[in-house]
Amino acid sequence: MFLKIVKNDFLRNKIVTMTVFVFITMAVILAASAINNIANLFQAMSDLQENAVPADITVMHAGEYDQAEIDQFTKRYRDHIAVQETMVLQNIDGSDIHFGQNQTMAGTIQDISFVVQNKKFDFILDLNNEKLDVKEGFVAVPIYFMEQHDLKIGDTITVKSGGYEKEFIISEYARDFEMNSSLTSSKRFVINQNDYDEMIELQAGELEYLIEFKLYENGDSATVQTAYIEAGLPANGPILEGKIFTMFNAMSDMAVAIIIIFISILLIVIASLCIRLTFLATIEEDIREIGVMKAIGISKKDIKKVYLNKYRVISVAAGIVGYLMSFAVVNLLNGNMRLYISSDLSGSLKYVLSLIAPLLVYFMIVMYCQHVLKRIDKISAVEALRSAITERGKSRKYSFPLLKNKFFNTNIYMGLRDVFKRFNLYRLLFFIFVVCTFIVILPLNIYNTMNSPEFSTYMGIGKSDMRIDLRRTDTIREDFKKLQEELKNDSDIEKYATYITSSYQVKNAEGSWDYINIETGDFSVFPLNYLEGRAPKGTGEISLSYANASKDGLNKKVGDEVTVRGGGEEQTLSVTGIYQDITNGGKTAKAHRSLGVNEEAVLWYIVSMDLAQGVDTRVKMDYYQDAYDSAQVNDIKEYTGQTLGNIIDQMSQIVIGGIAIAVIIAVLITALFLRMLLSKDMSQIAIMRSVGLTSKNIKHQYMAGTMMVLILGIIVGVLASNYLGEFLVSMAMSSMGAAKIELVNVAWQTWLLCPLALIVAVGFTISMCCKVTVEDDLSVVLRS
Amino acid sequence: MSNIVEARGMNKRVELGKENELHILKDVNLDIEEGEFVSVMGPSGSGKSTLLYNISGMDRITSGSVKFKGSEIGTLVEEELAKLRLNHMGFIFQDINLLKNLSLIDNVMFPALVSKDVDKNAVYQKAKKLLEMTGIDKLADHNITQGSGGQLQRVGICRALINSPDIIFGDEPTGALDSKSTAEIMSILAEINKKGTTVMLVTHDVKVAAKTERVLYMVDGNLVAQKKMRKYDAQRNDSKEREESIMKWLVENGF
Repeated sequence: MFLKIVKNDFLRNKIVTMTVFVFITMAVILAASAINNIANLFQAMSDLQENAVPADITVMHAGEYDQAEIDQFTKRYRDHIAVQETMVLQNIDGSDIHFGQNQTMAGTIQDISFVVQNKKFDFILDLNNEKLDVKEGFVAVPIYFMEQHDLKIGDTITVKSGGYEKEFIISEYARDFEMNSSLTSSKRFVINQNDYDEMIELQAGELEYLIEFKLYENGDSATVQTAYIEAGLPANGPILEGKIFTMFNAMSDMAVAIIIIFISILLIVIASLCIRLTFLATIEEDIREIGVMKAIGISKKDIKKVYLNKYRVISVAAGIVGYLMSFAVVNLLNGNMRLYISSDLSGSLKYVLSLIAPLLVYFMIVMYCQHVLKRIDKISAVEALRSAITERGKSRKYSFPLLKNKFFNTNIYMGLRDVFKRFNLYRLLFFIFVVCTFIVILPLNIYNTMNSPEFSTYMGIGKSDMRIDLRRTDTIREDFKKLQEELKNDSDIEKYATYITSSYQVKNAEGSWDYINIETGDFSVFPLNYLEGRAPKGTGEISLSYANASKDGLNKKVGDEVTVRGGGEEQTLSVTGIYQDITNGGKTAKAHRSLGVNEEAVLWYIVSMDLAQGVDTRVKMDYYQDAYDSAQVNDIKEYTGQTLGNIIDQMSQIVIGGIAIAVIIAVLITALFLRMLLSKDMSQIAIMRSVGLTSKNIKHQYMAGTMMVLILGIIVGVLASNYLGEFLVSMAMSSMGAAKIELVNVAWQTWLLCPLALIVAVGFTISMCCKVTVEDDLSVVLRS
Repeated sequence: MSNIVEARGMNKRVELGKENELHILKDVNLDIEEGEFVSVMGPSGSGKSTLLYNISGMDRITSGSVKFKGSEIGTLVEEELAKLRLNHMGFIFQDINLLKNLSLIDNVMFPALVSKDVDKNAVYQKAKKLLEMTGIDKLADHNITQGSGGQLQRVGICRALINSPDIIFGDEPTGALDSKSTAEIMSILAEINKKGTTVMLVTHDVKVAAKTERVLYMVDGNLVAQKKMRKYDAQRNDSKEREESIMKWLVENGF
């Protein structure tokens, strides 16, 4: 019996039923795929971690080094340390690596090193997550570079450095737990021991050491780190904890999953609103029948069942279809994961966890239906028979009289006033247009922000045209001096400033010593926007990155004091400001030049510069790159672009996806809404036609009203993405070290292109849907 | 006097399902003179209202011809028909059919305001005058939920008159009203007719028909008889006699 009612109802409202079905299915597909993706991510990460056995503590060091000291230290802390191994990296400049037709890897912001596979832990894997075993003459290239330069297995790369030159055939992708992510600034190429020895012999690269510790399960990482520093063991590079690599590896996939879940929630809301609209229209149409059913004594519960069953059937069907389809869709989303984390995503957890999505959607839809159907309780049999329910509360003061209209044609005015008069009805459409605008503009703003030079603000660097990084090499000090001399005499350079980052110890909240990287220099030349306070200007001043100043870091406010130790000398500095920085795990600091340089622990030198007007940045960059082999010369946009690499790519896909989804939703809902509205207003339309209005007149009324709702929706949507969006993005980014993101808003895109796309799509839909007014004889409607 | 409406061989068929057809109007021929006051009577389902809607171009006839002021309306496109209704015809319905979101005076003014280049103030003055004439000017700014059936029907009449039509069609305009309101509405319509506007209405009520000058009688889609009378004049006080004579005539024709 109930199935028969459902079937009849489906046949009566095919379009509406199909639309609701499509939305629920889409919501289930997205939610299930996102959950599936998260389940995959967890399983894949643990699989990768199990095979790669990453280090818990990695100390980077360049320069003098004695393994015996490290062995002694390891012995002393054997309660904590399970194994120790030192990997010796041979750093090769990007410009020394040749591939394809006269191409090199110059210009990369990554530090490139050639290594041999470790023996005990921190293994570099192939795409099957098995330990790489590279034969002589072959090389395994990091996935990042394979992607970046579109390299294929079987291609060759040639390393030419000093007197060394050798061609390698690419035999494998190198999947590197510690250095997979573009957010990690080093990448390791794996070669055979014999090739490696030859490289060392011919001094092809600068040596750098990764002193790695694998701890016992109950080993305390902080204790070992502090002890290591206090023992004065080699550590002029950063000390990295294992968990930061996990975070970097998971971040971009996690971000995509979260955005998809967000879109899926929006779809559920939209499906619910469609159902509400359907209920309002059908209940209104059926109100007499409800009255008759009540009058002949059918219980409220049974009447509700008639309406509810249809949506139960739709939800179950959509749930099953969506759940099954999600397994196909998920393959579109996890390409990145399959490449970087694990090619084998066959774990079974996802099948169970993805079931949460259809179940949750089913219960949400049913609960929402029950909520809407409460209206039926309130309708008395008599009221229903007189069909007065939806016309309640009409004795309010009369507004928008026709004579007040001074600017519009009467039909346009009728359409506009209808929106205000029946805003309860139109608010659904308004909400949809706001949401659609939001899902177009927010990703677009994020994309533009990531691509803009202003993004450097969130990377702790002031805005400049160009930057030169000098990293650990033997000639670093001489190079730096030479560079400064040259810049002073280069008339193409408008201004420049030099910054030296060295490693210090800092007293943490518990009173013990941690490591901190402090950059010194003149911060007034390329000012950075501060979250609070200002840049350090005088003696004894320091500013901290947001992550360093936060509770998880040093827990400091502007005006507090920080004690640092470098070269055996302790200094107390006062905090003048807090800035945002998502680089180096978010934990950096800047101090006035008077702090001095910790000569034993200089990490890198940076020179920021602005070029004089008319100077070609590219030419200048090439010049300095050629003159300083070991330097990395970038313009700021390139620098941010390379660091954010994958995230920007994924974001651009989200922008395109967002536009497609927004247009589909806007068009579908507008069509559905107008169909409902026109069928609801059928008698009013017939009255207007009976007094002499043409179908065209009436069409103009509905077009005017709907277009106004669209335009209001777009305005509110754009404002919401600018303000609410900024708040949401800042919240999401605060864990990475940027707590106050100001989204870049490209006016012609936000206010012209995107609105125009929506207006054209929706306008066309409105124009198509309003075509049919009353086709039959007018009397059929007027007399019914 | 010339004819405002001339219908010849008018047929209306409606399809009900695949092989089921309803023949509602059967070869109806009818002339209505300008300034005439005509009523149509007949049992339920005899085709009275269908006749009215097909003559006015609100519905399309299946075959035959209907001329309004000499022009064939069957060949007019939707837009031309709408224009004809807007400028030359007025309608009054049993269900009144006012627009829900407009006040009473806005309902009256609306058909005039949709015309291009209209003087809004003149329309307002005219609407006010019509409301005064029908005795509901005090309710002008009320919502339609705030009037009684009789009051709202007067608004319907004012709306029908706002564009000074040549003819007013009424589909049982007093059908839902009490006897007092019915009498008031009929005297307003009689007054309008006196000023020269043709009126044609469908009714079940002999008292209503007695106020008109020609009564048409329909049975099963056929126009079977008509009765011509002198124009009604309230001062003659002969309502009773007119009603009795119509009643007798109806019975003679099988009512």
